[in-house]
Amino acid sequence: MSKNFSRRDFLKLAGVGAATTAVLTGCGPASKYVTRQQYLEMPEYNYNGQSTYYATTCRECAAACGLVVRTMQGRALKVDGTANHPVNFGKTCARGQAALHGLYNPDRVTDPVQRTARGGDATTIMGWDAAVQTVADALKNNQPSEIAFLMGMAPDHLFDLVTDLAKTTGINAPVRFGALGAFESRTTLSKASEVVFGQASIPFFDMGGADVVFSFGANFLETWLSPVAYTRGFSNMRRANHTKQRGYFVQFEPRMSQTAAKADEWIPVVPGTEGLVALAIGKLAAEARGVSMPRAFAGVDAADVAVRSGVKLETLERLAGMFANSASALAVPGGAALGQSNGLGTAEAVLTLNALADNLGKPGGVSFSPVSPLNDEYHRPASMKEMQDFIQQMAAGKFKVLFVHGVNPAFELPASLDFAGASANVGQIISFSTFPDETALLADYVFPDHHSLESWGYQRAATGAAQSVLSGAQPVVSPYFNTRSTVDVLLAAAQLAGGDFATALPFADEYEFIQNKVSVLVGEAGGLFSAPDLPTFIAYFQQHGGWWKTEAGFVTPSAPDALNRNINVSEAQFAGEGEFVLLPFVSPTLGEAGANKPWLQELADPTTTVMWNTWVEINPVTAHELGLENDDVVKIVSEAGELEVPVYLYPAIRPDVIAIPFGQGHTAYGRYAAGRGANPAKLMGPHFNEAGDIAFAGMKVKLEKTGRQQFLSRLESRMGVYGEGMGEEH
Amino acid sequence: MMNKSNIPEVGANFAEGEQGKWGMVIDRDLCTGCQACVAACSMENNVAFVGEEDSGYGRSMHWIRIERFWEGEYPEVKMTSQQPVLCQQCGHAPCEPVCPPFAAVHSQAEQLNLQVYNRCVGTRYCANNCPYQVRVFNWRDYTDDRLDPALVTLKNQYNPDVTVRRRGVMEKCTFCIQRIHKAQDKAKSEGREVADGEFTTACAQACPANAITFGRVDNPESLVSQLAGQNRGSKLLEELGTLPQVTYLNGG
Ligand code: SF4
Ligand code: SF4
Ligand code: SF4
Repeated sequence: MSKNFSRRDFLKLAGVGAATTAVLTGCGPASKYVTRQQYLEMPEYNYNGQSTYYATTCRECAAACGLVVRTMQGRALKVDGTANHPVNFGKTCARGQAALHGLYNPDRVTDPVQRTARGGDATTIMGWDAAVQTVADALKNNQPSEIAFLMGMAPDHLFDLVTDLAKTTGINAPVRFGALGAFESRTTLSKASEVVFGQASIPFFDMGGADVVFSFGANFLETWLSPVAYTRGFSNMRRANHTKQRGYFVQFEPRMSQTAAKADEWIPVVPGTEGLVALAIGKLAAEARGVSMPRAFAGVDAADVAVRSGVKLETLERLAGMFANSASALAVPGGAALGQSNGLGTAEAVLTLNALADNLGKPGGVSFSPVSPLNDEYHRPASMKEMQDFIQQMAAGKFKVLFVHGVNPAFELPASLDFAGASANVGQIISFSTFPDETALLADYVFPDHHSLESWGYQRAATGAAQSVLSGAQPVVSPYFNTRSTVDVLLAAAQLAGGDFATALPFADEYEFIQNKVSVLVGEAGGLFSAPDLPTFIAYFQQHGGWWKTEAGFVTPSAPDALNRNINVSEAQFAGEGEFVLLPFVSPTLGEAGANKPWLQELADPTTTVMWNTWVEINPVTAHELGLENDDVVKIVSEAGELEVPVYLYPAIRPDVIAIPFGQGHTAYGRYAAGRGANPAKLMGPHFNEAGDIAFAGMKVKLEKTGRQQFLSRLESRMGVYGEGMGEEH
Repeated sequence: MMNKSNIPEVGANFAEGEQGKWGMVIDRDLCTGCQACVAACSMENNVAFVGEEDSGYGRSMHWIRIERFWEGEYPEVKMTSQQPVLCQQCGHAPCEPVCPPFAAVHSQAEQLNLQVYNRCVGTRYCANNCPYQVRVFNWRDYTDDRLDPALVTLKNQYNPDVTVRRRGVMEKCTFCIQRIHKAQDKAKSEGREVADGEFTTACAQACPANAITFGRVDNPESLVSQLAGQNRGSKLLEELGTLPQVTYLNGG
């Protein structure tokens, strides 16, 4: 039916419908793509010099921001946010903006290839028929229990397809992972949410309505959970208007992150004491309010916490008073505070502060974002402990074939888990990577998926939006290279493999699969649009970039006993030896996968202004005691590994902590990424908190001088910071 | 050549261009330093990236940068409110009178500082004279795909509304004049005026904190005029008499 529907017909339809914007849509396999043409040749629906705009979904992280991409004659020119999309309301982050440098990246995988030897560059190009046959054979010739899928946190439609496949055929359920999720300690957050609020999902913190925000290491202005949505919340919190005053924001963390740099107060706590500080604030705030002491905070000794956390008792009292007296106070637990051996207790302590503030389900408080359409539950990515189990199964030879899509475990996982070593015991590895990343190098075959801007799909908004959102993706340009949609490859291979595989996935192509999935929404009330039949629904779905409810659907956490239970924040344990605690953080501009986009590389890091490289941040006083200057290369030695990085004298970090960004240090992944900077995942040992997240902020390390220098490119004047010149003493 | 008597004294009252037309308000209390505006500007305006070595020598070509300074020492250290700095589109621009071939000229129609790339001969006098350091120079051919084969694919993204610059040419923020013209053409063809908020610059459009507002400063009803009228506003180095068209709202 969709095949009979031409682009012209659609334009007529769009003109009748809610076409206030000039956003268009592809309309089915017959007119799936607009092909790239010379600017001199006009396709039928273009006017000279006029652009065509397509609504789709960003896949640079899993937040599901809606995008509108400006195209002209089959070229994608500019990315912007979809104006009414409930996640991002017309805005994007820098990574979303630079998505086009992924699309037109010179180092994409151009054809399906077979690798001559794992780890080597040499490959031979295959045809897609042979590639599909290879996948079919892999499905057919192995026991279902020997077939595994490792996937990224996006896109959801592919995850749903493989989940369906697993349910019918008995292959292993797909495992999802992403370094961003690990640095956000998502498992700990959802576990603590289950303990305190009775629901194992990601709480939504309504910053926009809060008067006072206490964030315990949440880097919500950088990469945390849904950064565009949280930046909007921050902006609304800060903005005074006739109904509210300017919100006050305090950040507790050992290093001043980009987020902390926006705080009205930055409190440099001793790493691992964030939970104790939260408990102490709870106790002092309860006292200030004159309420009977909740059991959750009764056991804590504020004076003792002051000593252990390095935060003066007066400061704790003052902040607790502020929290207690605010009409709308909010407490937010972030990734690094939870990435400690005691992270689960910390998360519970911080979430419980919200129960004390009595903000649950209220504007300016904590709620749960409504579940997305087509969503039975929150699909949490695997914790690092679960990834360790997965890798142990790989090492034990349990998997005869491993499919990898949308994630780069050989780069993103701690080297100590030894994904590369374990992969040697996997019979066959098939990567669907769009880029030649480290994991694709370990794969026997790379069958490249289209870039996300050339792809169909959908993504659920797990958090960040007030409404239930299914964000839709459609190709904004035709595929640039000889790539093929992974969904199409799996559908075709399932038919070739026959049996259960064929019955599990009876779809002609990806477009039909997506239509089938979203068809349940056709009659659904309360949405952005309604349509009498599937073709019309799909046309609107593409035009608007998804489907969402018009009404907010926050769910109020139920926490009758939150204040009435004991919270155990044990003393943080640190792995390894050395005089410094290492704090790895995700590069705010690169994220986990931005290093191959040249304009992201050339953005100045928001706090240091460094471009194109990795640095280690050291307090200037400590550095001078050690005889270190800017750009001196040091060796960081952890229990698990070592790394050489140039020094950046960072004025806003505890003297006993050093910090290093994650995002660089690729050995593959194209010319802009490979051989540049260092990867702190090399330093991380396999230590976990009670929820199974990695204790990435709980490592002690040593520093050794190398005697070498490597000059970092910085946007800031080298003469500017503390009067230092080019590495000279001042 | 310019008559010397036409060059006003620094700080002199300068009627021409005083009113301004297009202007911007940037709220430093809201700017998070996230760099989305920098990325958006670069993608919209075909701004070249220069690589690690050249950017280390200060040759990077950002048309907008986020300034931040450190105050005090640990633990009493603060980062000053982030300040996005772009061409201030001065009503009385120090870059203009020093350009021998009139590549840096004032647009009477739009009250903007134009940079006419095909007039620029690369004296770089304008950059020397700009107190805001917002002019960037093409020290090499960063956009020539014969020199960098990577650009063969990357250049598909170039915005056909904006010139691709080459070696020896000075460039800077244009207030996205291509967007201004497009909106004006559209309004004209529909027989109406451009409405406030109908379009905006690439940086303002991207900004997730909504820190940047763009519009007509000569219309007291526009959002940008309303915001600029708040008592938090100040202009960068306005004591130089440059009549900048960007108003900064101070941080908390
Ligand atoms: S927050 Fe994530 S989904 Fe949104 S624009 Fe940025 S990278 Fe894309
Ligand atoms: S996009 Fe907005 S918040 Fe981000 S750096 Fe630019 S002005 Fe600041
Ligand atoms: S106004 Fe346009 S040209 Fe100027 S900095 Fe913003 S995006 Fe760039």
